[in-house]
Amino acid sequence: MADKILKKEKLGALIESVTGKGGRFVAPTTDAHQVVFKKIKSADEVAGDYILARNSFKEFLFPQTEVVAEFTMGKDSVDMRGVEVHAPQTVVFGARPCEAASLAGMRALFTWDFVDEFYTKREENTVVVTVGCTKGDDACFCTTVNLSPESTEGADVYLREAGDSYTVKVISEKGKKFLEAHAAVFGEGKAKEDALFMPEKIKEVDLAKVSARLKDKGHYDDPVWAKLTRKCIGCGACTFVCPTCRCFDMVDEGTAFEGERRKNWDSCQYDTFTLHASGHNPREHQHQRWRNRFMCKFHFYPEKFSSKGCVGCGRCIRVCPVRLDITEVMVEFSK
Amino acid sequence: MENTLRQKAKGLLESGEVKVVIGYGWNRAKTRTTPVFITDPAEAESLVWNPLCVNNLSLYLTRKFKEIKALGRPAVVAKGCDIKNIVVLMTEGQFKREDVFIIGMTCSGTVYRQELWKGELTPNIMPTKCHNCDVRNPHVADFVVGEKTNFTPPEVPTGMVFDKIKELDSKPQADRWAFWVKEFSRCVKCYACRQVCSLCYCERCITEKNMPQWIETSAHPRGNLSWNLTRAMHLVGRCTFCGECERACPVNIPLNLINQKMIGVVKEAFDFKSGYDEKTHPPMIVFSPDDKENFIK
Repeated sequence: MADKILKKEKLGALIESVTGKGGRFVAPTTDAHQVVFKKIKSADEVAGDYILARNSFKEFLFPQTEVVAEFTMGKDSVDMRGVEVHAPQTVVFGARPCEAASLAGMRALFTWDFVDEFYTKREENTVVVTVGCTKGDDACFCTTVNLSPESTEGADVYLREAGDSYTVKVISEKGKKFLEAHAAVFGEGKAKEDALFMPEKIKEVDLAKVSARLKDKGHYDDPVWAKLTRKCIGCGACTFVCPTCRCFDMVDEGTAFEGERRKNWDSCQYDTFTLHASGHNPREHQHQRWRNRFMCKFHFYPEKFSSKGCVGCGRCIRVCPVRLDITEVMVEFSK
Repeated sequence: MENTLRQKAKGLLESGEVKVVIGYGWNRAKTRTTPVFITDPAEAESLVWNPLCVNNLSLYLTRKFKEIKALGRPAVVAKGCDIKNIVVLMTEGQFKREDVFIIGMTCSGTVYRQELWKGELTPNIMPTKCHNCDVRNPHVADFVVGEKTNFTPPEVPTGMVFDKIKELDSKPQADRWAFWVKEFSRCVKCYACRQVCSLCYCERCITEKNMPQWIETSAHPRGNLSWNLTRAMHLVGRCTFCGECERACPVNIPLNLINQKMIGVVKEAFDFKSGYDEKTHPPMIVFSPDDKENFIK
């Protein structure tokens, strides 16, 4: 197959081609002074100068809140009705290679003991187009978790900035079909690719050691947890922007007569996350909740699903109001 | 100033007067400040002071932080604006004046967000609160670090927050409603605003109560509106405009607007501003026969 390129001026045509067929086009755009993933309609909405969007694109596969059933209360019965999964054809454009790598873990969880169609159908209808990073900051640490701006894990199409064009690399079958469906927009040829931003690998981090230390339950009551994370205020903002965090809560909302069952994002950083009806809380203190998040990323996911729990996007570091840096904990646990 | 601060912290820990000093330190890359809890006098050297010290550390004095409380009597490094919150906590009986050692920092302003820092503190990267600050010389402290400043705030408060409030106030109700519905639509219900607020110290927040459920936890327009408005109401006459909620919000909801608006309303109705005097109780928790009744129509 000849080398493909996408002229940046053709981005509008690509958006039209996608939306014209009834699909939604999601891309980083500027909203309320920050770059975020949103459904967009035209090329001028697409942010050009960004490191990565503040939120991850997970909300288009796993929305913050969604109705999964409806109910009506009868005199002595409850009428429960399922709802259709809303899974429109979606293109996520301009995701970064790090966050795309989160998809394997997402799928592993949502298909583990129960196939959650609300997730799987949406993911199946989504094409992820990543763009290699030409910019970064001191929160980026993909290279430390064995990813890089050249990684293509989870992506369907991988683009590289190349002056006024992107070079195009098809990664998956879905990506191939995407290119075929919008063939008119893509051109053939070569272009000189811009230099990538490679975050410096944190040399003090040894993932194997982190994993080994977490596997040995001896660390559980290590005072180091409290020492490292006592400043955590439990706001959960890290879990909300994290591309791999996917915990949710089920709530029934409505009146005494009818209502909806909703699946809402939840966060392991809240004390109510593990609070038992008895009043007992197995994770009473914030450092225990933080320990759980860290273990989920560097022990539970790698061990249970052989997938990455952390992709090194650095969102949790950027968004943290007390600047609790996960890499500092990784360094400590590499000792 | 940093040296004086470190010396004082070291002395306090060595003498046993306090068991922990809550202050600011550097992150690994020394690009951002982060809260630190110093218990070893030798570690007092890691305390820092600069315009990146944005966090309101009074948060760690609240009952939400049982583990920090368990360390023993704290000293807290506090700017004037942070001290206002400490004062409110005392007026609300959360602790007594002698329970905490306040190291007051003379301040010439901080950055609005740490990522804006380019090595120099310029007016355009300072939050509205700093431009109108009347507590750059700490008003309640056990020890003050830094030379007294002569800064006097403008008579009529200025800055982006006040300009925006004025603009909103001039609009019809429907437009104001539309403005807030749009702003709140971004809310992800992470509750970072609550967690970062030293005055949101309830151990069980109303939003976590579900029998009955007062506030819908879903991040849909109704749930978002009821959460944000409820929180605003719970801060009336208490909020000191420290700005932490807006800074912590991952989706940039302009919470300062609501809080400053409420401060204005309380000032007008009760001639009260919170955070200045530990002896005066906030208007919402006291009854006075002189309270105005003109809201009853």
